[in-house]
Amino acid sequence: MNLAELQALLHGRITGMVAGREDELREQVVARPPLDALARVEIYAGMYLHRLVDAIAEDVPHTSRVLGHDAFVELVRAYLHEHPSRSPDIMQAGRHFGGWLRTYSGIREDLPDLALLERARSEVRTALDVPVAGAEELQSLNPDALPGARFHFSPSLRVLRLHHDVRRLWDALEKDAGAVPDPVPGPTTLVVWRQEFKVFHTGLSEPEARALMVAREGGTLEDVCATFAGEPEPAHAAFKTVLSWFADGWVAAVTSRRA
Amino acid sequence: MVPFLGHGIGLRTKHFPDLLEQGRRADWFEVITENFLNVGGRPRAVLEAVRRDRPVVLHGVSLSIGSVDPLDLEYLRDVRALADAVEPALVSDHLCWGTFGRHNAHDLLPMPFTEESLAHVVTRVSEVQERLGRRILLENVSSYLTYAGSRIPEWDFLAEVARRTDCLLLLDVNNVYVSATNHGFDAAEYLRGIPVDRVAQFHLAGHQDLGTHLLDTHDAPVPDPVWALYRDAVRRFGRVSTLVEWDDHIPPLDEVLAQAEKARTFEKAVLEEAAA
Repeated sequence: MNLAELQALLHGRITGMVAGREDELREQVVARPPLDALARVEIYAGMYLHRLVDAIAEDVPHTSRVLGHDAFVELVRAYLHEHPSRSPDIMQAGRHFGGWLRTYSGIREDLPDLALLERARSEVRTALDVPVAGAEELQSLNPDALPGARFHFSPSLRVLRLHHDVRRLWDALEKDAGAVPDPVPGPTTLVVWRQEFKVFHTGLSEPEARALMVAREGGTLEDVCATFAGEPEPAHAAFKTVLSWFADGWVAAVTSRRA
Repeated sequence: MVPFLGHGIGLRTKHFPDLLEQGRRADWFEVITENFLNVGGRPRAVLEAVRRDRPVVLHGVSLSIGSVDPLDLEYLRDVRALADAVEPALVSDHLCWGTFGRHNAHDLLPMPFTEESLAHVVTRVSEVQERLGRRILLENVSSYLTYAGSRIPEWDFLAEVARRTDCLLLLDVNNVYVSATNHGFDAAEYLRGIPVDRVAQFHLAGHQDLGTHLLDTHDAPVPDPVWALYRDAVRRFGRVSTLVEWDDHIPPLDEVLAQAEKARTFEKAVLEEAAA
């Protein structure tokens, strides 16, 4: 057996992606009492699962707690079959876990959204640092250039479109408050961001969510303002929203082609 | 010239507050490379604070130098960027493999010690050193299995990789002890097989005895047999930068620092004895 064949055999067995082939394993791995060849391979298989369970639990601690250890381990095992780790960084192994949970029935209905929030908070905690822009950057633009201004957001900003509002659930678990609130179904937009080393999340109204989506997709200030057209005081609502983006440190830069 | 850094510890999240408040009291710090690739926030700020007044060593776990997968060039670019920013005293990873078909097992799987894998590792170490623009250190891993096809003693394999690629070696004394116990070879013979001029760093750590085998857990103080082997290593290799690893059930900073001090004390005693 050459190196590639040997690695395929071992890797398949250790990661649980390939079953069987015990006879080949017994040929390739030395049995040394008190452990036979398969028992030696199983040491690595056990460590593989538990190392990844630990890494993903670190990402989504409240989700794993609500599920309970045994159920969480089995979910991670199933998840890894569909989403094997492709990154050198083990902390990236759980990046699809929340989305994958949405395809899974038999768990509390809002847990996928809780997992998505926890994962976003984890990503934001270590996202790359960039200087943030103040509102004065927008104010310093030539008035003619203002409508064409575009926003460049901090890499530590995440926007989540969820099926439940999990903020109260997250709060209760964070405070270890005992009983957890019932699921709150309904479309919810949450924003997660960091100031210095502290991570925050908050909910957005539908107009604010639309405006932020337009801006993140490269829309201009004029496009952003247009999303508030149905509001009672559209200009006031638009500027209040945009100024809050600067105040919370979400904006890294403002550019305008006409500036 | 390989630097002597003294007696260091791993930079771990649990100790961030103490390190920032009480200063950097170890001689040097080793960081897990992958934890700091493309990372900002508090981890990056702490790394920069530590680096301002202490040497730092980058220690990778995902190079997968022995894998038959192509080298991950994006990963190597990221490591190089981090190394260029941090200016580490040393850059190391393990003699092992962990990926197959781009699926990362996140483990340090042992190599078969054959002529085929030797040629494979040599080619890849040379390419890695070229891409990183520096010599790397390769560390021996703890292992729980050996391959029927292995024909070369592990120590000879490591020595030959170092000779052919001009890389350096990170001798993990605990790993030598764990593997020697698990596979029934003589740890002293292992040390004798490693060329003195290649060893640029030692690792020390704790392990667990599971009855059927020793497991390299890094979750306990360095046990007496590993200290004994460390003294043997100092006798053979002399003064070598030494690091205490503690990665699970991490105790307060002072307890880890005390292990580094113990290493310093043992090293001093051995060197004084040799000089007498």
